[in-house]
Amino acid sequence: MSASVRAAPRAAHPPRGLALAFAFAAALLLLFIVLPLAQLYASQSEASLARVAAMAEVRSAILLSLAAATATTACAALLGIPLAYLLARMTFPAKPVVEAIVDLPLAVPHTVVGIALLFVFGRTGIIGAPLEHWTGIKFWGTAAGIVIAMLYVSVPYAVNAARVGLEGVDDRLEKVARTLGAGRWAVFFRVTLPLGARGILTGLALTFARSVSEFGAVIVLTYYPMTAPVKIYDLFLQSGLGDSSAMAAIYLAITLSLFVAARYLFRERREAESMPAR
Amino acid sequence: MTAHRATVENLSLRVGAFALRDIAFTVAADQILVILGPSGSGKTLLLETIAGFNRPDRGLIRLDGEDVTAAPPEARRIGFMFQDYALFPHLTVAQNVAFGRRFAVRGAQAEPVEALLERLGVAHLADRKPKHLSGGEKQRVALARALAASSRLFLFDEPLAALDARSRDQMRRELKEFLRRSSVPAIYVTHDQAEALALADTIAVMREGSVVQVGTPSAIFNEPADAGIAAFVGVETVVEGRVVAVTDGVARIAVDGTFVHAAGAVMPAVDSRVLACIRPEDVALAALPQRGSSVRNQFPARVVATEAVGLLFKITLDCGFPLVAYVSKQSYLELDLANRGEAVASVKATAVHLIAR
Repeated sequence: MSASVRAAPRAAHPPRGLALAFAFAAALLLLFIVLPLAQLYASQSEASLARVAAMAEVRSAILLSLAAATATTACAALLGIPLAYLLARMTFPAKPVVEAIVDLPLAVPHTVVGIALLFVFGRTGIIGAPLEHWTGIKFWGTAAGIVIAMLYVSVPYAVNAARVGLEGVDDRLEKVARTLGAGRWAVFFRVTLPLGARGILTGLALTFARSVSEFGAVIVLTYYPMTAPVKIYDLFLQSGLGDSSAMAAIYLAITLSLFVAARYLFRERREAESMPAR
Repeated sequence: MTAHRATVENLSLRVGAFALRDIAFTVAADQILVILGPSGSGKTLLLETIAGFNRPDRGLIRLDGEDVTAAPPEARRIGFMFQDYALFPHLTVAQNVAFGRRFAVRGAQAEPVEALLERLGVAHLADRKPKHLSGGEKQRVALARALAASSRLFLFDEPLAALDARSRDQMRRELKEFLRRSSVPAIYVTHDQAEALALADTIAVMREGSVVQVGTPSAIFNEPADAGIAAFVGVETVVEGRVVAVTDGVARIAVDGTFVHAAGAVMPAVDSRVLACIRPEDVALAALPQRGSSVRNQFPARVVATEAVGLLFKITLDCGFPLVAYVSKQSYLELDLANRGEAVASVKATAVHLIAR
């Protein structure tokens, strides 16, 4: 019966009813996403873009954001992949608790994250104080503080996407690898990690995207040196919509082109994998 | 090439409510041991225990005399063949085959990867990814990969189960040919009796975690040790009777008012109760009793049902007890079994296998 339904020539009928109604809702939503950004660009003059782009503070803020997000992504990979692997491969009694903890940052307002981090990494925080005393490393008003703030809010994306990627790796491949002489570490690096790479890279791309756009947690922990979102806010307060929207347009162009490049690279990779190598 | 040998001694393992009990067998270099059992009988658990993924509670696993019971899988040099052969999808054929090389014992003499690819006829596929290979090519690559890692035992966990009948037959023939010539013993797990019959030198029948019978394919199929095995290996007729006489190596058994004759090396005691087993392909049908025939069992029978089963016809008869026969299409038409109500079924006494009750 279902076969005959599927065989019905749906494409021959023009879309109507449900399809039309849903397409209308979808178009509305897409417009809602794209219109503000388009309008942001439409209202820029070349002169103001050039002037803002020439500001040293604007440039350093953008570079700081990109550098901190890169460092955050590296930390997320180093700390997130092991946790993702444990969640993907092991069963243990506290697993639901661990899963809830991983998702916790998604539910905490970002200003609250910043304040909470101050209690741990701030000048008098339980880790911040001894660390500053012994090593001189500070998390308050430093790049390290920015990374900590970015990491806290973005690491769930890295863990969850990597977990999905690693869960998709057939465990029989891991078993075969062991019978071929590979120990557990070799199996992880030669089989599990490369086969779970797509999920892991997706997670890291999301982590990077979340990090470059982070504002709330960063501004509480580290107002100076300024990241790009903080500097945009600062310009907004100091000189109004003009300069801040120009910087916003420049920053957005950079982060979006990185995002598009990452998507493109992943697709290249996927196609390369499915092509017969000759 | 050294001739390898694998031995399992009194292996026992409990996993939750399930247990492997006292499993024991030996497989020599050019041999294929088929472990035949229904799903849930513990075949895969046994294979994975031999491969080193589970630690047995008791018993030993020896490869070439060396006790590997406590060794991790990577130290055993056992080639494991999963369903569809589980080639690494991110590596080329050549990289798949070379995978185990980097972990090989230093100084171990092993055939070069190129030579292995050549020997298994997959050299021209060296740069392909597994998803572009046919089933037969995957099988050969998996064998080359296991050989490259100096495997001294092959374990097969229903590798052909997901394939269509044609390629399965082809790959099974190829595999048997390969294993015949190799110096590596093989343990092959399946639930498919036809597959067991086609591949095995020795069959071990497994049921609920125990090996219940070990023997040649002919012994397993013709002389099953109990009624359960008989049913599993396709003996359609199993009837209970009483031995009324034994003369000249032939037992006369009363079954529901009919007499069945059975000949064999070991005869039951008179008056004992036995199960008489008759394979459907050992039953011949004729229109009339065969006068002067040496066949001891000739049963006038009523045809109860006929059914096309693959290339044969399954005929269910009533000759005082239920009897099932497989006949060719030609016999089916010649005897007009579709319309004929009666026939004479004959079974050689040597084809009747007795199981003591």
